[in-house]
Amino acid sequence: MALLEIKNLHASVAGNEILKGINLTINPGEVHAIMGPNGSGKSTLSNVLAGNEVYEKTQGEILFDGKNLDDLVAHERARAGLFLAFQYPVEIPGISNMYFLKAAVNAGREYRGEEQLDAMDFIDLIEERKKVMNIRDDLLERAVNSGFSGGEKKRNEIFQMAMLEPKLGILDETDSGLDIDALRIVSDGVNALRDPERGFLVITHYQRLLDYIVPDVVHVMVHGQIVKSGGKELALELENEGYASWVGEEGI
Amino acid sequence: MDLMQLRKNAADHFKANGFPTTKDELWRFTDVSPVANTDFSSEWNASDLAFQPLSSYCLVFENGKLSPEKSKLNAFPEGVKVGSIMDHVDPRLGTLADAQSAFVAANTAGFSDGTFIEIAEGVELETPIHLVFLADVAGAAFHPRNFISIGIGAKVTVVEEYIGAADITYWTNAVTEVFVADRGTVDHYKVQRESATAFHFQTVEAQLGENAVFSNHAITIGGGLGRNDIRGKLIGEGGEAICNGLYLLNGKQQFDTHLFMDHAVANCNSHELYKGILDEKARAVFCGRILVQQDAQQTDAVQSNKNLLLSRGAKVHTLPQLEIYADDVKCTHGATIGELDETALYYLQTRGIDPVRGKAMLTYAFANEVLDEIKSASVKTYLENLVHEWLEKVSE
Repeated sequence: MALLEIKNLHASVAGNEILKGINLTINPGEVHAIMGPNGSGKSTLSNVLAGNEVYEKTQGEILFDGKNLDDLVAHERARAGLFLAFQYPVEIPGISNMYFLKAAVNAGREYRGEEQLDAMDFIDLIEERKKVMNIRDDLLERAVNSGFSGGEKKRNEIFQMAMLEPKLGILDETDSGLDIDALRIVSDGVNALRDPERGFLVITHYQRLLDYIVPDVVHVMVHGQIVKSGGKELALELENEGYASWVGEEGI
Repeated sequence: MDLMQLRKNAADHFKANGFPTTKDELWRFTDVSPVANTDFSSEWNASDLAFQPLSSYCLVFENGKLSPEKSKLNAFPEGVKVGSIMDHVDPRLGTLADAQSAFVAANTAGFSDGTFIEIAEGVELETPIHLVFLADVAGAAFHPRNFISIGIGAKVTVVEEYIGAADITYWTNAVTEVFVADRGTVDHYKVQRESATAFHFQTVEAQLGENAVFSNHAITIGGGLGRNDIRGKLIGEGGEAICNGLYLLNGKQQFDTHLFMDHAVANCNSHELYKGILDEKARAVFCGRILVQQDAQQTDAVQSNKNLLLSRGAKVHTLPQLEIYADDVKCTHGATIGELDETALYYLQTRGIDPVRGKAMLTYAFANEVLDEIKSASVKTYLENLVHEWLEKVSE
């Protein structure tokens, strides 16, 4: 069974149609990349998948792990194993990263019928996972993303993914604003989570990230549609030739 | 002036002026006619209300009168004098609290008990003194009067807590005067958990000497109609006043906070952080007046009032008032009134946290900024629990 199956997906924001018939299938263990120019609908796709109610799905079907996503609101999708690493992680003053993570981990465990982690077990899990992402203890004590640098925010997103162990990780322009060292740390974190059961959808503007997180399939998205799919070499082709041949003379 | 004369003057002032009305600029948004139009009794009963002593030093007032049986008054260290204000009348009593206020006048004329705390020079009392005011006589008026004075370099923590029986109407009208001598530190907490249909008014007025520190944390949960007047006079250089507060209001509660910080001399700091969470048809008023007198150069004054509205029926009036007569000062103020951050709520949801839990987490986080500033661990834990209980109640 496919992990994610998107059929003829149309979606709009405030009455403007952004996605105009997306078809995409991700099988367990696969890493798919979506590349495309600004405004092509990449972030809309990730938000529609995560269940952001600002975006309205107008047509089509999304099956995730056999479940129709129409039946699940955002927190239920997360509990079912769908994770979105935000392009702009949200700052939440007043809630410590630790407290937030514990609430999130235990929400997923409750959904799966597993016992709640107590403080000791939770700390053990944190200690184990924080090493890969190079997360310092003070980042755990501080309020969620508050006052974090751009790199710290992105590392924190991947760290959350490592803690929550989703079935599908969606990375929305995780590479934006990262220097080469931070990019390497983030990519190492993602690669450590690659698993025959887990899929990834990596949304990016640049080919650079795909040198580190090597995809199985690359899709080109323009004007709300996937206009070409291919192997990892497609990313290099795009890097050299740009999106001009798909965008057309009118531009975006 | 002796106490008799002080009381007579106050009674005369009150008779001549009566209660303020909404035509009075300082009372524009708070109509106290429900208090003015009620005849209060002076009936007395013992109280059956439960309370949790926060310290080994605890004074309990039952319906206005000190209860030696319920209090824990023994074994204060040397240099610490604590007892009923009726047994210790300091000549400075009544010299600090605003004599023009009708509520202060009513208290001065009518107080029949309260706390007297005097800490000698250099004595640092680490254990907080917990003052508990229990009210469960419907229709009664209580005028507790508290007097706190600490010597040079002395230190004390005082927690005033007002607890009322549910759904009865009565009037608490408290006044607390605080004298902080040079290099002294007073941490003062006020926890207001009156009945949701009670009237609660209090004036806290503090005077700070050189390098003295006064902090006030006012946590308001109860009361149907009420107001805190918290006033600081910085009369010695290097003084620091901190006034923080949290008001959690629902139903038809109306609560007003008037801060007045008087910077009379140079090199003093004042910090004011007030946050409010309002649900249903609750109303709040925040008025923060900061006066920087001509001599008060290098004043550093910061004021912030932030409000979170959980319902469309809730309403807040926030009024910063800066009066600055010195030219080399740093004064900032800010006020916000808003709703829960939908983006933050979505972010929590994408991590599996359901919206009910997410809203509770974000609301608590909003309040937490004020609780975080509380130094006393026992007081902090106690208040954290009260805030959690309140949030659970409003999320039902």
